[in-house]
Amino acid sequence: MSLLKIRDLSVRFQTNDAEVRAVNDVNLDVAPGETLGIVGESGSGKSQLSFALMGLLAKNGRATGSVTFDGQEILNAPPKVLNRIRAEKIAMIFQDPMTSLNPYMRVSDQMAEVLTLHKGMSKRQAVAEAVAMLDAVKIPDAKGRVRLYPHEFSGGMRQRVMIAMALLCRPSLLIADEPTTALDVTVQAQIMTLLADLQREFGMAMILITHDLGVVAGSCERVAVMYGGRIRETGPVGPLFAEAAHPYTQGLLDAIPRVDQDEDELRAIPGQPPNMSRPPKGCAFAPRCPYRRPDCDVVDPPLEGFAPDRMRACLAPVPEVLDRRIATTQQKETLA
Amino acid sequence: MIAFVLRRLAVAIPTLLLLIVFSFALMHLAPGGPFTAERALPPQVLANLEAKYGLNDPLWKQIWNYLYGIVVHFDFGPSFVYPDRTVNQLIAAGFPVTLTYGALSFVAAVVVGVSLGAVAAIRQNSWVDYLAVGISIGAQVLPNFVMAPLLVLVLTLWYGLLPGGGWSFSDPSFWIMPVIALATSYMASIARITRSAMLEVLGSNHIRTARAKGMPEHRVILRHALKPALLPVISYLGPVFVSMITGSVVIDIYFSTGGIGKAFVDSALNRDYAVMMGVTILVGSLTILFNLIVDVLYAWIDPKIRY
Repeated sequence: MSLLKIRDLSVRFQTNDAEVRAVNDVNLDVAPGETLGIVGESGSGKSQLSFALMGLLAKNGRATGSVTFDGQEILNAPPKVLNRIRAEKIAMIFQDPMTSLNPYMRVSDQMAEVLTLHKGMSKRQAVAEAVAMLDAVKIPDAKGRVRLYPHEFSGGMRQRVMIAMALLCRPSLLIADEPTTALDVTVQAQIMTLLADLQREFGMAMILITHDLGVVAGSCERVAVMYGGRIRETGPVGPLFAEAAHPYTQGLLDAIPRVDQDEDELRAIPGQPPNMSRPPKGCAFAPRCPYRRPDCDVVDPPLEGFAPDRMRACLAPVPEVLDRRIATTQQKETLA
Repeated sequence: MIAFVLRRLAVAIPTLLLLIVFSFALMHLAPGGPFTAERALPPQVLANLEAKYGLNDPLWKQIWNYLYGIVVHFDFGPSFVYPDRTVNQLIAAGFPVTLTYGALSFVAAVVVGVSLGAVAAIRQNSWVDYLAVGISIGAQVLPNFVMAPLLVLVLTLWYGLLPGGGWSFSDPSFWIMPVIALATSYMASIARITRSAMLEVLGSNHIRTARAKGMPEHRVILRHALKPALLPVISYLGPVFVSMITGSVVIDIYFSTGGIGKAFVDSALNRDYAVMMGVTILVGSLTILFNLIVDVLYAWIDPKIRY
């Protein structure tokens, strides 16, 4: 029984020039307590996917499809319904802790209002609860610091405040939208460890949106790789990283510099990500793909299972992609 | 904070002093004087008059005497044109009038302007927004010297609802038209500033956080968006408040309100040095005071600002 069920979710943005297709026919399931990573480069639609299911799209954005949470339809639900779900059942933390907290309100007020609103607590009770939660995210001297304003915290501490604020109502799903992107590496590791600990402690599911494959490998059970607004490959972390069956996933993994090999250059995926206001007719990755074949420019392949628990959307046969000979030859050519 | 206010008040004294010296000197540099008339006065009469008002003294001495009078006796001198009245009396008679209609206009402009701008931003690109923007553009392009006669035409001459001019502190029906005429264009500017500031705030990350916390929309706006959206409005309001309570010559002329707006322009035309200086000092002091108030308000709203 899945906690969150996303079916045929698409997001369109109406701009002055064109319609931007940010997310296309995404299907995903999140089981209770599970950690799902959504990986993709900037503009792949991963953040808009999460905003859509929380009803947080910009005004010119429209979401279609279906999202059910605990059996209840929440996509495009009326504000009254959504406001009972947000923070109480599904909480969210954002990429930029510097600007995501209200700079004009004390941390105590920002946190307490969640509890006074959703749990009907008194202000005093709510602040006490906020202090307890700040303790839980390991902010030293939480009692003294709760009265401070966000700018009086460092970046890492602010993200801890964000996390504490998100967990106040003990949600069953936490969406973390690039929670460590704006932080430096050592702080990143602390925040990820903290998130993993809290997740275990509270038994909540988590959707971790990131472009950092290292973060995914360290903390997720399942991954969905997005490109051009579509999911291109999904599967359990271990097998997916060991044997990437989609050329884009391979490209992402190859782009990680390795310490155990003597390399002079960073490897990159050649070409540019697609312009989603004029998406290509076939597979969006085809122009950059070493396994490209004539059909790729005509057909956008659907996501299909090819092994237990694993799915991918690609026309190239699995053995050819796993063999990697073609990709390696092409890389040598581009380097030469 | 208190130290900051005291420091600013201390700086205000030399600022005012400079203002007085410069205005005084500039005024006397301009050709002509209070007793220059189309039909020249006999030289002996002119000489006597100038001697009486000390206009023969060297400029530095005139400035010194003027400052001495202000500091020691709070006396801004006699009017050069109305010999039986002092500047203090002229300002005491006119300023309460302008203060009344100016302050009321200010309140009206802020209340209507902020609500109009905020509603327009919240319902961006809807008919409400277009209507609000239309109203504020209309109000902006209708200058008060067009607005005033139009109001008189409709409300006095056609419908006979309101007195067409004059002033009474006891009868608010005299206040309505001056307030409307003065408030409209300021209201329009306030609405435009509020709208754009509100739009920016509503698109910011911390508003998204507030929504993700399940806050109802009205709470998101009142508790999270309004305060930051008002910051640019407040910095505009400081100088605007001063220029509103020190009156408008157009309002004073069209509605015969007898405020200091007209007194100031008349004094400039008549070279009534003392009245000109008196009003200049009044406006200058108020400007300094309200800039300080704006700064204090800023610090109160934005916790990042520390003085």
